[in-house]
Amino acid sequence: MYSVELRGATKRYPGGGTEPVVALDDVNFAVEPGEFVAVVGPSGSGKSTLLNVLGLLDDPTEGWRLLNGTDVTELSVAERTTARKGSIGFVFQDFHLLPALTAVENVALPTAFDSGDASDRAVDLLRRFGLGDRLDHEPSELSGGQKQRVAIARSLINDPAVLLADEPTGNLDTDTGESILAEFGRVKEEGVAVIAVTHDPLVEEYADRVVELTDGVLVGGDVDEATSVDDTLGGRDSESPLAPGEQ
Amino acid sequence: MSKSTSSGTDTEAGATSWLRGWRPAVGMAGRNLRRNRVRTVLAVLGVCIGVLAVAALGIFGNVLALGANDAIGDIGTQVVVSPNSDTGVESLSTTDVAEIRRAVDDPAVGDPAVVPLYSDNGIVAGASSQTFATIYGVEEPALAFEAAEGELPDRHRQGAIIGAGVATDLNIGTGDTVEIVGSQVRVVAVLAETQTFSPVAPDDAVFLPESAFAADGYAQALIISESGETAQAAADAIRREVNAREDRVDLFELAAIVDEINGFFDLLSTFLLGLGAISLVVAGVSILNVMLMSTVERRQEIGVMRAVGVTRRDVLRVLLAEAGLIGAVGAAAGTVLTVILVAALVAATPAVDASLVIDPTNAYYLLLALGFGVGVGIISGAYPAWKAANERPVEALRS
Repeated sequence: MYSVELRGATKRYPGGGTEPVVALDDVNFAVEPGEFVAVVGPSGSGKSTLLNVLGLLDDPTEGWRLLNGTDVTELSVAERTTARKGSIGFVFQDFHLLPALTAVENVALPTAFDSGDASDRAVDLLRRFGLGDRLDHEPSELSGGQKQRVAIARSLINDPAVLLADEPTGNLDTDTGESILAEFGRVKEEGVAVIAVTHDPLVEEYADRVVELTDGVLVGGDVDEATSVDDTLGGRDSESPLAPGEQ
Repeated sequence: MSKSTSSGTDTEAGATSWLRGWRPAVGMAGRNLRRNRVRTVLAVLGVCIGVLAVAALGIFGNVLALGANDAIGDIGTQVVVSPNSDTGVESLSTTDVAEIRRAVDDPAVGDPAVVPLYSDNGIVAGASSQTFATIYGVEEPALAFEAAEGELPDRHRQGAIIGAGVATDLNIGTGDTVEIVGSQVRVVAVLAETQTFSPVAPDDAVFLPESAFAADGYAQALIISESGETAQAAADAIRREVNAREDRVDLFELAAIVDEINGFFDLLSTFLLGLGAISLVVAGVSILNVMLMSTVERRQEIGVMRAVGVTRRDVLRVLLAEAGLIGAVGAAAGTVLTVILVAALVAATPAVDASLVIDPTNAYYLLLALGFGVGVGIISGAYPAWKAANERPVEALRS
């Protein structure tokens, strides 16, 4: 079972003219647990749309979407919110931390309105990302790399199946970017499927698989397809059909 | 809580989870408000002024109405019956008085007291000064008047009862002797000052026993009712019975006028409240503006909250709590300011009777204004909150 999967997903927006804009064109895409996939492509190729559709922020116009093998193509607003909270973590280029909250509170934000206190888990996550001495700092008191680490910790607070990252290194210098990518490496070791949309060649180096999106058409989206591509290129041996311990 | 009865547990659990949902929302709302202190303080100030206006104007109107009611309350319950000189009746005979008593001797008109009065004018002299006063002859003064000094006899047999104004003019009190039209009379009581307008004008009068008068008829009869309605009913009964064949008596009654005066003060109160409400509406618009600006500025933040799994309801709660906090803090400050303002005004103007101001009905206006303040906050915050909570996160995140 894949952590997340798109089958024949098409996304059309009503354009300014008579022809609708096709942001995703019959996309087949699957990511296994513990796999780090980089999505590359020129601006306007539909990368953000792909991430939004994968992240249940937007619905495909046609096709299917599966999360942990469950069809989540058509969910109500409330169901999508619940599914995002339970299974998907987001990391944004601009970090998107809430400025009024401390690092711990930002990490615990997805659970802030639940019964029970997730602060302990948030503290554990922050310590894991080397921010044990920044727990009560507000975002304005943190560096870019620290903010992105807080954001990654936030994305992991609910043990997600999928981590979606939009240009995670876009606002960081090379060294910091590399350390963030190393964090992604550790996250995927825990069985989380990591999908990063990026322009950054550095991300491609860290990724298990690189797929390319051009004008809404995805190349290398399927695991099998990717494997065959990899085989022709000399291949990698890390492709296992199903990793155990998935969520 | 699980050990209470089943329905109690359900209600309690529901209330607890409801409260639990609000606690983090209020906490987050407080922080968001602190982030933009100047704007928050200005919005709070707006509500504060609105609540102050509603509460203060409401209380002013109420105090006016209460004061007026104090002043005119009594005359509404009095009917003065006098002979109708147009039809040649110069005085009320004992037959007339008996007929009046018969007319009002009916539980439907509240069995009012009938106090016939002889009337004359003359010089009343004290030890050092003298004054011209109305001199009444009355048998049962206790039915119609109240004493400030001494005691009103059930049957007035001897001595003089002095109106408050006369007592002040002549500087006399109970036990003193006054000279009334040449006779020395001991003062048995001094009447309480009346603040009401009445054709009898007891303040400037002296009341002697009926036996002091040799007149052959009463000058007027006072009908003392319990309320304005029974006074009107009594007046109607007298018109019907005593004036059946010819208009023997004139009736002077103020119940209808009192009703109109009360109606006017109700209108005045409403008008003043309306004036205050305008400023509260303005305050509401300022909250609306603050909340709209705030949600537009924080569009991405709200989008992030929604994206990471915070429900629409919880986003709504945070934003409503922000507006509600502005309303509540402003309303509380406005209420406290009103109390201080009213207290200061009462202290500065001795003419205002403090008992009118601490009247419990004024608390109603304070509570009304407080409730309005909080309500305006929540209502004004509702639209921006609903709008922000329902925005699709994918739109909100797109910067």
